[in-house]
Amino acid sequence: MFCIIAFLVLSIIGIFSASHRVLAKEAFDCVFRRITLRPCNTGFSEKMKAQLIGNIMTRSIRMARFLNGHFELLSWILFISTVASLFWTGKGLYNFYMYGSCNGLNKSGFCALDPNGENNKISQAGGSCTIGSGDETKVTLKDVDLSTFPTKNIGSKDTVVFIGCFNCDYTRKAYPVFKEFLNKNQVNYTFAHYPIKGETSYILPIGYCAYQQDKEKYWLFVDKLFESSKEDNAKPEYINKVLTDLGYSSESIAKCSQLPETKTAVARQRIELEKTNIYGTPLVFINSRGLVGPKPFRVYDRILNGLKFWKN
Amino acid sequence: MSLLKIRNDFIFLDDNKWIYFDNACQSLRPKQVIEAITQYYSHYPICSGRSNYRLAVELQQKLTDVRLTVSKFIGAKKPNEIIFTRNTTEGINLIASSYPFAEGDVVLISDKEHNSNLVPWLLLAKTKKIKVEVVSTNPDNTWNWESFNQKLSNKVKMVALGITSNLDGATIPFEEIIKKSHQFGAKVLLDGAQWAGHHQTEVSKWNTDFFVFSGHKTLGPTGTGVLYGKETELAKLNPYQVGGSTVADTSYTDFELLGVPERFEAGLQDYSGILGLGEALRYLRAIGWGEIEAHEKELSKIMIDGLEKISDINIIGPKESDKRNGIVSFYHPKAESHQTSIILDQTANIMVRSGRHCVHSWFNARGIKDCVRASLSFYNTTEEAEKFVNELKKVIGVLA
Repeated sequence: MFCIIAFLVLSIIGIFSASHRVLAKEAFDCVFRRITLRPCNTGFSEKMKAQLIGNIMTRSIRMARFLNGHFELLSWILFISTVASLFWTGKGLYNFYMYGSCNGLNKSGFCALDPNGENNKISQAGGSCTIGSGDETKVTLKDVDLSTFPTKNIGSKDTVVFIGCFNCDYTRKAYPVFKEFLNKNQVNYTFAHYPIKGETSYILPIGYCAYQQDKEKYWLFVDKLFESSKEDNAKPEYINKVLTDLGYSSESIAKCSQLPETKTAVARQRIELEKTNIYGTPLVFINSRGLVGPKPFRVYDRILNGLKFWKN
Repeated sequence: MSLLKIRNDFIFLDDNKWIYFDNACQSLRPKQVIEAITQYYSHYPICSGRSNYRLAVELQQKLTDVRLTVSKFIGAKKPNEIIFTRNTTEGINLIASSYPFAEGDVVLISDKEHNSNLVPWLLLAKTKKIKVEVVSTNPDNTWNWESFNQKLSNKVKMVALGITSNLDGATIPFEEIIKKSHQFGAKVLLDGAQWAGHHQTEVSKWNTDFFVFSGHKTLGPTGTGVLYGKETELAKLNPYQVGGSTVADTSYTDFELLGVPERFEAGLQDYSGILGLGEALRYLRAIGWGEIEAHEKELSKIMIDGLEKISDINIIGPKESDKRNGIVSFYHPKAESHQTSIILDQTANIMVRSGRHCVHSWFNARGIKDCVRASLSFYNTTEEAEKFVNELKKVIGVLA
């Protein structure tokens, strides 16, 4: 058993150390002999055991005696721990590749590959920007009516929904990546502004009216607001300028946004968004699968298209 | 003998960090030997014997002096009975390959010979159809006259024996063996690898036909060794390596060999090594054999007495320290030998050897896995021997 554990450990250390590579080779020879039902005759286990015991003996005779007496048992424990550790490491790597988090889809626990949790940070409903603490498993599109939200490429096979806030850091971080993803994939795309911070709530009716008045220009409007500074987005006069620059009539939009039916529609949209159990932005749905936080491009792409090497 | 003065000559022992008990493998080298080697490369790094410039002649003289030193060291009659080899193994191989054996000739060895004095004969048994017969030793590994007398016959052409076993340090009664062998017309080849650095050698007085030893076990450099042969016996040998330095003249169809010993020293020799060997042998002689033997016996006694107090330990060979020649081998049923030696090294910087010590045949015949061997030399101290015993007790206490 010790050969196997030594082989695993030394192989990893051997990546960086030539002397350990030699030991790993010796351990492998031992393992190979064991799995081919031959006795390990290299003396590797004995040698390593002696080195460990010798090392400990210089500190404590009792400990050395204990190690010698329970070497096989301790080897088993280490072996099982190592296998478990390797399994969880592998799973973590898999999760990180697939979902941008070592812990799995929308899991925000510590991840060594993303120690600051950048891929899971959200602007939390309520106003603070932090790692999300809502129930990640409950985000859903079930019973959510998205028919009144800005949508393009209607009829496409795949459906993608982006719920974000113009002035939230993590939505702003995710949006360029997400745009790249949209540019490479023809999908039925729905956008929803979910203002975490009150300072951009006033954009909701403006956006609603802008989409109603010109669906094509609306997407340019969205792009522009994600490019603009948060300070500018908080100023109505700046929004009016953006609308004007895009060819909208700011007066007409202002008038529309004051209409009771607009306010009702916006309120209904908010109610629909709440049904997703959103607790922070950005929240992206790709074919109903929810992703909380700004994910790397590969995650969006992999969820939509599956693993590329599978397809080759 | 001033041990402190002697130890000062060994750079390796300067800081007293290491306790070296692997002298049966090879000895340490005093400064004088290292200096002799360095002198060669610094002051006359040239060819000897082939050139006639002054330094070449000077070097030739130094090498001739070493041959004389060696011959005196082992008590040979003439310097040209000395052939420089790389080690004991090469010396034995030279005899095995060059002696005019015929099919059916018997070579007698003991049951605990080093592989170097076993495998060459086994190979010869395959290639020249000689017979190798093995003399059994007594249960305590001492010489068994009964077995020897049974095996000795007129068919025996060579009795090849290690004087002192590298396994257990036991020394055979070689002078009587030589007499007895000669009575049956057999030649005697003595492997003096474990002897030459610890006792006075007197090949002519003993009347042995051949004697081999290694430089690296007698304070000399690695890659040096000596084959002694009586002049008359060397003349019977056919060189098994020829080429440069072995011939007086050649044509495209023939060659004229040089005399003994040159005909056996093919190619450019290890000049620095030979010079170092000469210095090593001079150093040993200067200390005096009586002093060396007495000191090593004392150390051996400390070890044997200490080991006998460890329960279940098996000491290989005779228990009497005066029969052991400074080699103490043992095994413990519950303490794996390799582990024991590794731990001694790790915990106390004590260097001993574990394994089968190139005597696999002995271990295989007895079903013993391996053993630990501590081998002494005159530069070891009583404190070191005592520390070895104490540390070994601790290690056995942990492992057993």
